[in-house]
Amino acid sequence: MKPKSTLDCRYFLKRLTLLITIIGLFSVIVAAQDQSQSQGKTEATITMSYFKNADMRRTAVALVKAKVNGKFAPVKNVKVNFYLENDKTQKLLEFVKTDNKGHATILLQNDLPLDDSLYFTIIAKIEADPLYEDAQEQIHYTDANIILSLNPHDTTRLVTAKVTELGKDGKELPVNGAEVKFYVQRLFGIMPASEDYAVSTDEKGEASFTFPKIIPGDTAGSYTVVARMEDNAQFGNVETKAPTSWGTVLAVEKDPFPRALWEPYAPLPLVMTISILFGGVWFVYFYLFFQIWKIKKDPIETAKS
Amino acid sequence: MNLENEKIDIKNEIEILREDCLRPTRTFSRNTQIWIGSLLVIIGWGLYCYIHQLRQGLGVTAMRNYVSWGLYISTFVFFIGISHSGTLVSAILRITKQEWRRPITRSAELLTFVSLCFGGIQPIIDLGRPDRIFNLVLFGRLQSPLIWDIISICTYFCGSTVFLFLPMIPDMALCRDKLVVCDTRYKKFKKWLYTFMAIGWKGTKSQWHRLEKTMTIMTIIIIPVAVSVHTVVSYIFAMTLRPGWDSTVFGPYFVVGALYSGSACVILGMAAFRKLYHLEKYITPRHFDLIGRVVLALTLIYAYMNLNEYWIPAYKMATAEGHLLNDLFSGSYSTAFWTCQFGTVLLPILIMSFPKGRKITPLVITCIIIAAGAWVKRYLIVVPTLLHPFMPIQEVPGTWSTYFPNYVEFSVTAACLAGIFLVITLFSKLFPMMAVWEVEEGIQIEHDKQAVIELREQREVAEAKQMKEPKAKLITPITNTNN
Repeated sequence: MKPKSTLDCRYFLKRLTLLITIIGLFSVIVAAQDQSQSQGKTEATITMSYFKNADMRRTAVALVKAKVNGKFAPVKNVKVNFYLENDKTQKLLEFVKTDNKGHATILLQNDLPLDDSLYFTIIAKIEADPLYEDAQEQIHYTDANIILSLNPHDTTRLVTAKVTELGKDGKELPVNGAEVKFYVQRLFGIMPASEDYAVSTDEKGEASFTFPKIIPGDTAGSYTVVARMEDNAQFGNVETKAPTSWGTVLAVEKDPFPRALWEPYAPLPLVMTISILFGGVWFVYFYLFFQIWKIKKDPIETAKS
Repeated sequence: MNLENEKIDIKNEIEILREDCLRPTRTFSRNTQIWIGSLLVIIGWGLYCYIHQLRQGLGVTAMRNYVSWGLYISTFVFFIGISHSGTLVSAILRITKQEWRRPITRSAELLTFVSLCFGGIQPIIDLGRPDRIFNLVLFGRLQSPLIWDIISICTYFCGSTVFLFLPMIPDMALCRDKLVVCDTRYKKFKKWLYTFMAIGWKGTKSQWHRLEKTMTIMTIIIIPVAVSVHTVVSYIFAMTLRPGWDSTVFGPYFVVGALYSGSACVILGMAAFRKLYHLEKYITPRHFDLIGRVVLALTLIYAYMNLNEYWIPAYKMATAEGHLLNDLFSGSYSTAFWTCQFGTVLLPILIMSFPKGRKITPLVITCIIIAAGAWVKRYLIVVPTLLHPFMPIQEVPGTWSTYFPNYVEFSVTAACLAGIFLVITLFSKLFPMMAVWEVEEGIQIEHDKQAVIELREQREVAEAKQMKEPKAKLITPITNTNN
């Protein structure tokens, strides 16, 4: 009969061997998977958006993401082919490479061919890419317009946005129940006009919004009103803008940081002190240069005389 | 007859002096070649590291967001400090008419010029985009201490160059004239160089007059310029609200620190040239003793400034300042800090207080300690403060909250130091390392003094004789009458 401790030890060793074998096998499988992944292509996804800007420019944007370290992240330099689908045929519009943020953007022509229900379809595809698996995404929208009506000198600051879509007879038809958001244009982006800045259109296709009185404008009190439909299921992103003079007048401080390092002008006493001190020294230097020049000229002058 | 002998003596002495001074410019020994080669290797490696830094960005150095002024800016402050040596030894001693200055002024002025050259480029090396330095010139703001720094360093550099050049003019003429009769290497180049730098010097009375006048003005003007430079360098730190830098004594503290380290470096240069170029006859132990006294005086003032710089904030221990001081006194920088205070300030005072400590060997060792300590001290001024901002360092990688220079910074700094040695070596191989005409003038003055003393002694002897003789005559008749 073997002692109990020896049995325990063997039992432990067996378990340990089993555990090591399992870990080893697991590692081999993971490594093999990794290798197969590294040899194969990376999974990629495309997300598409459509924008109709205030200047009537229409763009389609494809955001490409790929799996990097287990997470999807935007990838650059991926070739994206954009197709226009019409009557079940696809026509290549353009191919664009993604930028640093993973965006590939194309400018769409204004007279896009529409289907029977007046919709257009744009498809973005990653095809035969050496690094990424094939992927595709499409958008299917119809055209809409937002028309802003406002009086720049209106003291009530009321804006009415009328949303219309193209009817089959070619006439503009009002859109009911579309959400329009109102913003103010700022230097680096847009700012919501108030806390409740989203208004839905009525049967006339109109959404009215009263702008607050305290929005700062420029030095003349002007700012730009922005009305937007965002991620609308029918129309995508549609935007329009109009200038107003409803803002409070911005008083520019002439000397906002009088003692700051970034203050535009140095104080006069400082300029004078530095100029006098170093100007004096440089004046002496130039006098000395002149003397050195005279030393050079001295023997010639002596010989002449 | 005696006067003629004396003239011959002076002439011989001057001839020997000229020969001693010009000899190093005619030889280029194997050892010199090896020395220059070694320096070029260090410079080459430093250049490679700098190009690596330029291509990859400052990320290849140990500097990060918080410590953006590391070894480079510490070296900048140290080199600008050394540049005060020329002002002190040359200008101040010249203006106070210290005769013993004559053999050592050239090396001090040269040290100023070279250390300014290499000190001035340190802030550019510290820039990730050195091409943007021109923006300081184009769009510089006069209210920024950085602009004051650029203006004052450029002004000092220009002044120092003129200050080095002026006493060289008669020597260049000497080199030009002596070169014709001596067989030297690169004769054509040297002839052109000496002729160009001698600017047509013939030694006429009016030329001497102008030179003396120009030098007197330069000597006066260079002192305030030098003081302004290091004061403005201190402003870069003191004009910011940071613990350790927010100090009103920084200006004089930096100026005294600069003079203290600069004069120590002059002693090292003196000792090196004395030994290498066999100038023992001219740079004597007396020179070392006298300049040792100057360094002692400066070290005492520096110790006093150090006391003020640390004792007052240490007494108050204001929150942010307290963190910094704790780190210096008992934290990660305590070894370096206390070594600097005791090893490079108090110990040199002790050594140099005794005449034996001002003999050549102990003085040279002391000065090496002082120079090294001054460099470390600049590092202790720059780095610990940056690591103790008012807003605590948080949520950054661990390496950002510590700093020790890496191989790139050490290599580039070593290349700059090697550059200083290289320029000094090449200078000494082209130009006399002593202002020959000034030493000649000194010999003449010494002889004149000797002659005056001898004349006075002779006169005194004669007078004594005359005093004795009439008495004897007076006494004699009386005795004769008595007889």
